[in-house]
Formats: sequence, structure tokens, C-alpha cells
Amino acid sequence: MSDTNTTHAVHARRRTLPSAIGEPMVWLTGGALVVCLLMIVMLVLLVVVNGSKTFWPRAIDQVTLSDGEVFLGIATEHERVAETGAMRTLYRVGNRDIGQESFRWIDDEQVTSVETPDDAVMLEREAWGVWFGVPESIVRVHAGEEDTVLAHGSGDVLESYEALHHDARKTKSRIEQLKKVELGSINSEIDTLRLNIREAEIESARGDDGLIRLGWVLWFVFAGLLLGCMGVVYRCRDMGTELGASNARQGELIRTSGVIAAVMLVLAMWIAGPWKGQVVNEAQLETMRADAANSEAALLIEYDEVIAQIREIEDQDHELRLIIVEPTSGRFAPVSQTLGDEPMYVSQVVRLVQANTLSTAGKLGVFFSRWWEYLSTNPREANTEGGVFPVIVGTVILTLLLTIFVTPMGVIAALYLREYAKQGFLTSLIRIAVNNLAGVPSIVYGVFGLGFFCYTVGGYVDTGASESARMSAAGWWGMFVLAGVLLMAGFATKLWSKPNPGKLPSSFNVWMQRGAWLVWATVLVLVVMLVTRMPYFYGFFEARAQDGTPTFGARGMLWAALTLALLTLPVVIVATEEAIAAVPNSMREGSYGCGASKWQTMRRIVLPGAMPGILTGAILAMARGAGEVAPLMLVGAVKLNQDLPISTEAPFIHADQSFMHLGFHIFDLGFQSPDSQAARPLVWTTTLLFLAIVFALNFAAIMIRSRLRAKMAGPTV
Amino acid sequence: MTNEIDSTHTADSTQPIIRSVAYTPSGGADQAYEVIDAIRRGENPVPTVHPEVVNAESVIDIEGFKLWYSETQAIHDISMKIPRGAVTALIGPSGCGKSTLLRSINRMNDLVDGVRVEGGISLNGSPIYAPSVDVISLRKRLGMVFQKPNPFPMSIFENVVYPLRIDGERRKEVLEEACEKSLRSAAIWDEVKDRLKKSALGLSGGQQQRVCIARAIVADPEVLLLDEPCSALDPVATLKIEELISQISERYTVLIVTHNMQQAARVSDFTSFMYLGRIVEYGPTATLFQTPALIETEHYVSGRFG
Repeated sequence: MSDTNTTHAVHARRRTLPSAIGEPMVWLTGGALVVCLLMIVMLVLLVVVNGSKTFWPRAIDQVTLSDGEVFLGIATEHERVAETGAMRTLYRVGNRDIGQESFRWIDDEQVTSVETPDDAVMLEREAWGVWFGVPESIVRVHAGEEDTVLAHGSGDVLESYEALHHDARKTKSRIEQLKKVELGSINSEIDTLRLNIREAEIESARGDDGLIRLGWVLWFVFAGLLLGCMGVVYRCRDMGTELGASNARQGELIRTSGVIAAVMLVLAMWIAGPWKGQVVNEAQLETMRADAANSEAALLIEYDEVIAQIREIEDQDHELRLIIVEPTSGRFAPVSQTLGDEPMYVSQVVRLVQANTLSTAGKLGVFFSRWWEYLSTNPREANTEGGVFPVIVGTVILTLLLTIFVTPMGVIAALYLREYAKQGFLTSLIRIAVNNLAGVPSIVYGVFGLGFFCYTVGGYVDTGASESARMSAAGWWGMFVLAGVLLMAGFATKLWSKPNPGKLPSSFNVWMQRGAWLVWATVLVLVVMLVTRMPYFYGFFEARAQDGTPTFGARGMLWAALTLALLTLPVVIVATEEAIAAVPNSMREGSYGCGASKWQTMRRIVLPGAMPGILTGAILAMARGAGEVAPLMLVGAVKLNQDLPISTEAPFIHADQSFMHLGFHIFDLGFQSPDSQAARPLVWTTTLLFLAIVFALNFAAIMIRSRLRAKMAGPTV
Repeated sequence: MTNEIDSTHTADSTQPIIRSVAYTPSGGADQAYEVIDAIRRGENPVPTVHPEVVNAESVIDIEGFKLWYSETQAIHDISMKIPRGAVTALIGPSGCGKSTLLRSINRMNDLVDGVRVEGGISLNGSPIYAPSVDVISLRKRLGMVFQKPNPFPMSIFENVVYPLRIDGERRKEVLEEACEKSLRSAAIWDEVKDRLKKSALGLSGGQQQRVCIARAIVADPEVLLLDEPCSALDPVATLKIEELISQISERYTVLIVTHNMQQAARVSDFTSFMYLGRIVEYGPTATLFQTPALIETEHYVSGRFG
């Protein structure tokens, strides 16, 4: 001690070393931050700029080439050819139906003149992409008679087009509505009828093989045994006291056993209730078939009526033709490739843009109408045109579903891990495992989801256990009884594993504890076996599965949401655990001091206190899940499915359907599109939209959290 | 908690002047700390208990109570009776086991791993450590206030009626009545009556502690346990709490742990001086502070030993 004192006195402090000077570090760290920020800003900026210019209407050029060819098109790119050094331009020329590529590279030296004629228009059509041309006339076609010309010449055509087009589109959407709603409902009713018959046939073929009666007998045996057990427990409740238990413990045991018994009885009734034993006989089946045939005949008549109605409207609609002529060949835009010599219907036009005469306001109008179309309609032309409405809905519903699944699952797991589990080696091991789960490549989850959720669980939901896995009824009921008894035994051993108040756990307690875990594990295995090998359950959608159209046994929204929930589970568990750990112990003590039980403390103090943290976890999970694409490719995202995952028909959320997803849509546009040039701007736009949606979802969640926070906490937390 | 136990004898850091005295092995030729020295040697001297306590009607009976934190014994064979309807203070230097003793009464020590007890405590005749005792219903018979104010992150109203809520009371008028009565008893009604729906965390420390006291007495406990209720408060708030303790002692039996000798002298009827998990002297506060039987007590209450 005294030595140190003397050396201290002798040593003078040195001058400040050069390495102690901190300014370079300020610059270095600040610079690193700026670089990071700059990259993020650039990324967002690139997406926003490229994404938002897609829908801006651009001038239509009339290009005359040196060989005399004249064409209309929109210049989209201008670049230098690497080999020759000459400049060339990429024109969007459309008019695919006359057999040309919709994009053309033109060397600048070939071009003699470029004009922007006022009467050039760009047609956005329902099919076959865009058409460039000059409006000539609008005609009304009468069968067997001379056509009436309603308007002639560019100016006239455009004038009368507005009103005519509005009505024609209305008629068109009425036809779509009839087809989708009326025909759709008739079709689904016919389907249901056929499926009902099919189900009845399958059931009658299976017959009543006595299994169910045997099950009933065994169920009564089980119930008797159960009551006997309860009686024995009641008579021998003094026995426990000798073992170091108490009356309170006995009471708890009998209460819990009563609950288990009641639940098991209800379960058994539900599984093998007498009302389940009714099998359709041949005569009943015949009546059913006859009824179904009658209903089907009636439905078919109705179907024909609707079809006739549609035909009538369509015929009227098809009278109105728009003739837009292409300058080079003088050909007009046809109805379709097979009807190349007939001018197109007015109702086939989505939008007519006279780009060269548009004022800025007009351009803005086109811009926003395109955005609205993009956000609110179904995709057309292999996703390169039209909107992304089903894609948005699919993405949002999937994200919400996954959040709904993952949050309670993660919170419950974290609660057990932090509040109930004894902290030790095992819990740290589980924590490490959970953290590692977050590092598993997401495609692995996709493979797991496809194999486990789609095929195994989904298959079970559809058709029940496979034939080879079905147990005999006697064996199954035996296992059922065993599971019930073990469950009670589990509770009993758990109760006796608690030491008496103020005493350290004896070796008896410790062994009881280990025994309880063993019993729980056995019960868990038994329950899994009971479910997977159940002889009574033939699935909810057996008839459909036998027809080759599995309902849940295929890729779908539900399984995709569950897969993503699994993927994001570690995020929620970790965040919740941290939030729970951050609730001060003084709060818990205060609650216990008021006479609250552990569960009451958790529900009223710990969980509300941890709620902002839990929501943070949910938000992080949502953000992670919303951006995940790889597993979705395996478990449910598809290129095209215009049926929305939600509807006004029961069950409102159609979780068994495959769905469209923005992430997958971007991939599809970028790499799987037949017209990649046309799809490229949409890649940016879709990316922008995806960013906006993920941001909006997060923002909404953050708003909810901050409102909750303001409600729960005072100003001085 | 363990720290308190391990530091078997350290002087209170807030009273540095006394430190030199505290480390004196014994009081010198004229002041031999016989009892304290015996306790330090690990012997088991008989505590000095004044007849007033022995004769008083007791609400809590502690009989040969011993407590271990894992291997460390924190309480050595304590026997004492807490008189009914009075304020009893537990005083003594840090680590003497007074908080542990208090928390043994509502079995808060059950929450600590590796705690073992021997002997017994009974509350109004019913044993606390019997195997058949439901710890939840035991704690419902007691109210407890902690060292640091710990209002829950909810409204003042919900804080006060929390014990009733967990008993499943839903009737609004019952809750409101109980809340008002309790807040009035805790002498804070006038300050918070207009902001009952506001968060309790927005109150000052002293107000928070009084809300905690209101919470502790809302369900009419048999005994109110106060664990250094003023140690985190400023002098003004402390004074208010002390007044409050005097008021509520008319209706409840209060057991208070305190570091502050003046506080013990002001608020309590009986005082127990503890040292290293044993009782040194236990008797009426006036006697203990003016004419104690032991020189140790005299020196401790006057700040010359600690």
C-alpha cells in the first residue's frame, strides 16, 4: 500500500499522447453514419423516383425512318451502343396484334424525322397491350345492315368517345358482375350439391363397422374408472399428509382432477357421441340423389337464363366499335387476333390517351387515373398491365394473420420462460435455441411449412389420419383413458414436488418434480398419438380431397401465415422476454403483498407493464414477416389468383386459398414476365407500393403502441 | 437481500461520524458491550424483554423463529409478541434481520430461492408456516408498504382498489366507497380526489407512498407491515407519513421497520432493538429511548454505536 503511494508521488503525468486526440474518431464515426444514411436515402429515393414516374403520360412520337417506314411510339430509353458508338433509342410501339414486338430499338442514324402529331393516341386495352394510332371513326354495327357512323375524324371521335366509353365501361362491368356473382354462385351451389352426394356416398360405403359402439362401451368403462379414482383420492386424502402434503394440496388435486375428468368426458362425448353413429343407407342415398338432381336441373335453367341475359347485353355492347388506325399499314385495332378484320369494341378500351395535346392538368388526370387503376383493379396480361388489388389484399391479410398467430404464441412462450420456468441451464439452452432459430435461412422454413403444414397437417384436416395410421377403437380408447389418468398423475406429482412452506425441497420433492416432467412428456406424446391416429375422424373435406382438389392439404394462406409466424417467433419471444424482465420486481412484490396470486400478478401487472415491449416485438415480427418472400414461394404465393382471401361470404377469410403477394409479384414482374420491357417500370412501382404498405402497417402498429403507452403510463416513468 | 446478510457488521454509510465508534471491539473499560459482544461471538444471550410487552395482548406471536438464506442464517431463534393495536418499531443496524423478520410475517421470503425456516409465527392464533396455509389468503390478511413507493402503472383509483379487484369485486359503488375511505385514512384524499383517473406514477414520492398505504389498508388488514416506508422520501413527506402512521395506528396494528431512531421514537409505542438476527432489547419505546436496560441500546438510540 505504502509502495504505491510513493511511486504515485514520484511519477509526473505525461503529456497528452497523439493517440489520445479524439477529433479523427469524431470524423470517422460521423462519416460512417453519413455513408449509411446516404445509402438508405439513395435506396428510397431511387425507388420513389423510378416508381412514381411509371404512370406519367409521355409524348407519342411519329418516327419516319430513312427506308420510308413510319411508326408511332413512345421513346423510353436512349443509349450509346458499346461497339459502334452510335446512339439508339428504345421505342414502345405496342400494336402486338399485327405481329410486331411491342418494343423496338431504332438507331438514331436511321431516323429521318420525329414529329409529335396532335391526333396520335395511345389506347390502353383490356387485352394485347397498348395500341398506337390515329382515331378515324366510331361506328355502330347492325347485323345484316349498313353500319352507322357516329363520329368521323379525329376531333369528332374524341368528342363523342368520352360519353360512349363511360356507358360502354358500365355495361362491361355489369357483364363482369353477372358472370362473377350470379354465375359464380350458381356454379358453387352445383358444386356443393355434388359434394354433398359424394360425402354421403363415401360415408355409406364406409358403413357402421361397430367401432363406434365399442368406443362407447370403453368410454363408459373409462368414466367408471375415473369416478373410482376420484373416490379413492377422496378417501385417501390423509395419505398425502403423511407424505408431507397438506389439505390445501389435496383440495387442489381433487379440483384439478375434477376439471380434467369433466373435460375428458365432454371430449369423449364429442368424439364418439351417439349422434355420430348414423350412417346413410342406400334408400336415403337414392332420395338424396333425386333431390340433388332436381335442384341441379333448376339451377341449370337459372344458369341458362343468366347466360342469355349476358349474351343480350354483350350483343348490344358489341355494336359499338372504335376504329383507331395505325399509320404505316393503315390497319385498325381489332377485337382480337382471331377477329382481325373487325374493329374493336369501345368497351375494350381501358383508357385513351391523346398524349401530345394534354395540358399539365390533363397529364395529372391521366397519372392519377392510372394510379387508381393500378391500386384498385385486377392484373391483366400476365401481370404486366392492370392493377395489383388482389396482391395488396393478399399481402395485408397475410401480414395481419401472421401477426395474429405469432404474437400470442410468442408471448405465452416468453411468459413461461421468464415467469414460471426455474431459471437455470435448461432455460439458457432454450434461449440460445430460440435465438438460433432467428438465424435459420427463411427458405428452410418454407420447406418445413410445405412438408409439415401443407401436406401433413393440411392432409389430416382434409381426410383425417391415413388408413395405415388409424388405430383400432379399443387401442385408441385405452390410450385415451391412459392419457386422462396420467394427466391427473402429472398434477399429483407436480403438487407433491412443491416443498412445504419454509422448507427446502427434499429429495422426495426433487424426484417428484422429475417424475412430473416425465409424466407430462408422456401425456404430450399420448395426446399427439391420440390425435394423429384417431380412428373416428375422416377429415372435414374428404369428398373434395378424393376428387383431387384438396382444401387445406395444399399451399394456402393459412399455412403461409403459420410458416411466417414460426419464422418470426424468435423476434416476439426475445422482445417479450426483455419487456417482462424490465417490469420492476417492486411491482410484482407490491402485487403479491396485496394478496394477488402469481397469475393475477402476471395478468394485471406484468403483462400490462410489458405491453409496449410486446407490441414492439409484434411490430418487428410484422416487419420481418411482411418482407419475407422465399418461404412464400413454397407455401402459398402464386403468380395469379384473383379470388381475394377475404369476402362477404362465410367464412369471410378464405385461409385455404393460395394468394398473391407483393414480394412475389415483384419477382414475377422482374424475372418471369413474358414482356419484360413492359414490366420493368412496374417492378419499381410495385417496389414503391410494397415499401409504402410495409411502412403503413408498421406506422399503424406504432400508433397503437404509443396510444397504449400514453394510456398506461404516467408522465414520470 | 443477500448483501444485507453478508455485511454482518458495517456502519451505516449515512452516518460516517459514528464509524470510528462502531469499529471499536468493545466499549472500553467503562462501557463493555456484553450482549453485543456475546452476539458477535455467536453466543445466544437472553434478550432483555420488558414486562409491558410480555403482558400486552398480542396479535402476532413469533416463537423460536430461525431463518436461513441458503447457508447463511439471517435470524437466530427470535421469540417476540407484537402487541395488538399499537405501533411496534424494529430498529437495528443494517443486516440485523429486521426487514427479513417483517417479510417473514407475510411470507414474502417465499419468493427468494433457498430460504428455509424453523420455528413458527402465528397471526391471531393461526400459524403462518403450517403446510395447510394458503399463502395467498394469508397475505390478504396483511397489508404491506415497501421501502420504495411502488404504485402500479395504472390510475390512482385502480391502484387503491387493486386488492379488492383481485378478490373479484366489480360493483362500482363498493369500489368507489372503499377507495374514498381508504384515501381519506391515508390523508391524501384532498390532494387526489380530482385526479383519481390519472396515473399514480404522476404523483410525488410522498404522495405515491401514501397511495401505497391506502392500497395496503383498503381491505382492512389485521396487521399493517411497513418496511422502511420513509427511507426514499424527503423530510416533509416523511413527516406527513409519520403523522399518518400515528393516525392509522388507532385502527390497525402496525409493525414498522426503520433506520431512523427519531422516527421510531416519534411514531411507535413499542420498540425492538435487533442485532445480527437476534433481539437485544424489546420494550415500550419511551423506556427504551430514555431508560434502557442495556448500555448498548442507550448508545445505539443516541447514535454512539451503530
